[in-house]
Amino acid sequence: MLSYTETIREIAGRLLTSGAVEMVIGFRKGTVPMMNEPHFAKTPAHAQALVWDSHCGINLANYLTDRKEKIGIVAKGCDSRNIVTHIIENKIKREQLVVIGVPCLGMVDKRKIAMKCPGEITEVIEDEGSVTATGSGFSQRFEKKDVLQHNCSLCIHRNPVIHDELVAEPVAEQQGVDRYADVRSLDAMSPEQRWKYVEDLLSPCVRCYACRNACPLCYCPTCFVDEARPQWVGKGLDPQDVRTFHFLRAYHCAGRCTDCGACERACPVGINMRVFTKKLEKDCLDLFGWEAGLSIDVRPPLDTYRPQDPNDFIK
Amino acid sequence: MEHMGVEPGRLQFSWISSAESTKFVEVVTQVTNAIKKLGPNSNYTKKLAEVA
Amino acid sequence: MKMITIPKKEWPAGLAKAAGSFRLFGPVKEKEFHSFKRLDNGQLPDFSFLNTRLSPKHLVYPQSEVMLTYSLDESRADHHIMKETAADTTPRAVLGIRPCDAKAFVLVRMNFDTPDYQDPYWLRAYESTTFVGLGCESPCSSCFCTTAGCGPFHEEGLDVLLADAGDHFLANVLTEKGAAWVAAGGWTQTADAKAGERLAAMRKAAEAKITSEVQTKNLNAAETTGLYNASFWEEVSFACINCGTCTYSCPTCWCFDIQDETRGKSGVRMRHWDSCMYPLFTLHGTGHNPRGTKLHRVRQRFMHKLKYFVDKYDRGIQCVGCGRCVRLCPVNIDIRRVCGMMNSLAASGEACAID
Repeated sequence: MLSYTETIREIAGRLLTSGAVEMVIGFRKGTVPMMNEPHFAKTPAHAQALVWDSHCGINLANYLTDRKEKIGIVAKGCDSRNIVTHIIENKIKREQLVVIGVPCLGMVDKRKIAMKCPGEITEVIEDEGSVTATGSGFSQRFEKKDVLQHNCSLCIHRNPVIHDELVAEPVAEQQGVDRYADVRSLDAMSPEQRWKYVEDLLSPCVRCYACRNACPLCYCPTCFVDEARPQWVGKGLDPQDVRTFHFLRAYHCAGRCTDCGACERACPVGINMRVFTKKLEKDCLDLFGWEAGLSIDVRPPLDTYRPQDPNDFIK
Repeated sequence: MEHMGVEPGRLQFSWISSAESTKFVEVVTQVTNAIKKLGPNSNYTKKLAEVA
Repeated sequence: MKMITIPKKEWPAGLAKAAGSFRLFGPVKEKEFHSFKRLDNGQLPDFSFLNTRLSPKHLVYPQSEVMLTYSLDESRADHHIMKETAADTTPRAVLGIRPCDAKAFVLVRMNFDTPDYQDPYWLRAYESTTFVGLGCESPCSSCFCTTAGCGPFHEEGLDVLLADAGDHFLANVLTEKGAAWVAAGGWTQTADAKAGERLAAMRKAAEAKITSEVQTKNLNAAETTGLYNASFWEEVSFACINCGTCTYSCPTCWCFDIQDETRGKSGVRMRHWDSCMYPLFTLHGTGHNPRGTKLHRVRQRFMHKLKYFVDKYDRGIQCVGCGRCVRLCPVNIDIRRVCGMMNSLAASGEACAID
C-alpha cells in the first residue's frame, strides 16, 4: 500500500489542475507515531502533502456531510460504502464527488502495537508486510497481519464499491472470514454475565463523543444526547446514561454501519463499542440479507417495507 | 436488547389495532403478569444520578 | 523547607501509617493504562507509568458532581429547599502526580478562586488535598513542559516533590501540608547535605531529555484580531471532529455545565464537564449560536489557551505541556504546530506556509 502515496498525489494534482474538483480530502502525515491527520488540498502544490499508509483508519466520508463543493475523496473499501450511504441518505450528491478508490489491505491498530512494546514508541516505520516500532532501548518488528485493527482482520469489502479513480489494482477479498464470532460468544453468555461484560466494557467512558463524531453516520444536527427539552439521557457519568448513549447510538446506526472501526480508533480510552453495532449488523444480515452501503440503487431495509419482512417477534 | 444484557422476556412486541380492544386487554394483562413474574428490573433503571 | 530521604523499603509501612490520617490516591493500572484512583488499604501507588491517560483533575473536580439536592414533596419539612450535598473533606493525599498536572491545578485555581468569586466545590476539594509529586525522569516525546511554563521536576502546586533515586526517594518538602504528610508517614530521615545537588542534577538531566517544544514568545505582544483573522484556521480546523477528547484530557481545561435531573418529586442539581468543542456550548436561549461552525470553535480553543489567557493573566499560556491532547486527538490536531503558526504569524505579520 505504500506506493499508493505517489498515485494519490498524482491523481489529486491532476483533478485540481483540471478543475474537476475544488478540493481533495485525504490524509497528511501525522506529528506523532502511527497517526495521520485528515487534510484537504485545494491546489496541486498542496496535494503533494497527501500520504497513504497503514495508519489511515479514520473514515474520511465523515468530512463530506452536507458539503456543497465538488470534492475528490480518498476512500478505502469501508469509506466507499459510507459514501454510498451518504448518497442514499441525501447528505452529498453523487455528481459532487470524484471518488479516489483505495483497495485496502487493512489498517494497523496502534493500541495493539503499543501494548506489545515495553516503553513509549517514538518512531514507527512500515514496509509492505511489516511494521517496526522503535523506542528508547527497543525496536520491535510486527507482521501487519498480527496487528491489524480488529474490524480490518474481519473485512470482506476491501475494494471500494464505488470509485471514479482507482489507486491500484483491486486486492483479493478475504475468504472464509467469520465476522460474528465475537457476537456469538457474547450471545452464549447468561444475561448476568452479559450485563457484567457490558458494564466493564463501558466503565472507562468519559462521554467525549469521539466515537459518535468520528462516525460518518452520526450527522444529526442535534444528537439525542444533546437534547435538553425534552431530555432523553443524562449528560454525565451515571452508568445508566453511559449505557443508554452507546446502545441508542448503535441502534441509530443499525443497517447503516460498515464496521469501518473509526469509532473504536477514535476513542481516547480504548473502548470497543463495535460490540453493539456488530450485533445489529448480524441481525440485519440474518433478518434482511442486508449489508450496508454496497449499492447506491438499493434502499436499505429499515427504510422500506416489504411484505416478507420478518415479524415472528410480534405476538 | 438481550445482547446488551436486558433479561429475555422484558421487551415484547404485539400488533393491535385500535379496533381490537379485547385483544388489547388480553395482551396487556398477559404481559403485565409475565413481567411481574420476572420481578423488579434491577439492571436497566435510572435512579437519581450515581455520580460523585 | 527541607529534604527527607525515604528508603523504598520503608515506603509501604509509611504509607500504611499515613493512611491513618489521609485518604490516599495514586496511579493504578486498569486494562491498558493508568488512572488516579483511591488506594485500598495496603495498595501501593503504581509508579511504573509515564503519565495517566486522563489528567488527575477529576480528583479535585469530578466530571459529574451533585451540588444540591431538593424535594418538592410538600409533606416533607424541607420541601422546596435546596440542600448542599455532603462532601468528604477529610484530608487526602495524591501520590505520584506529575509536576505538569500539579502546575495545572495552580492555573485552574486562578479561575476558581478570585477576589470576587470562589468555587466552593473546587476549593474545598483542592484545599483538603496534599499533592505529593513524582519527578519525571523519562519524559515522553510528546511532553513540552519546559516551554510551557513548567518542567519535569517543577515544584509549583506541589506540597512534596519525590525524586526516585534508586533504593530511596528524595522528598523535597515544599509546604506545611507536605511536612504534615511526611510526618504522618513517619519518615524522619533528613537527607544529607548533598541531596539538594543530586536533585538539581536529576532535574537538569530530565529537562535535557525533553525533545518537544512550543514557541510562545511573540504571543503576548501579538495583536489579537490579527491572530483571530488568520487565514490558517480553515486548514487547522478541517480535521477536527469536535469531540471532547482534548478538553476532557486536558488538566487546564475547566468549563462545565449545570443542570437539574429530577425523578418524581425529588431532584439533584449537578454539574458536568462541558467542552467548547461541542456545537451546543455557546447556543443561546434565542437560538443564536456565535460559535456555530467548527472553525469558530477550534479557533476559540487555541486562542483561549494561547492568547486570551496569556493576555488576561500574564502568566504564560494555559497549557502545561503534558501532551495528552497531542497523543489522544483522534485526528492528530497538534497544539504544538498551531502554537508555532500563531507565534510565527505574530512575529512576521504574514500567514505561515502550510507545512
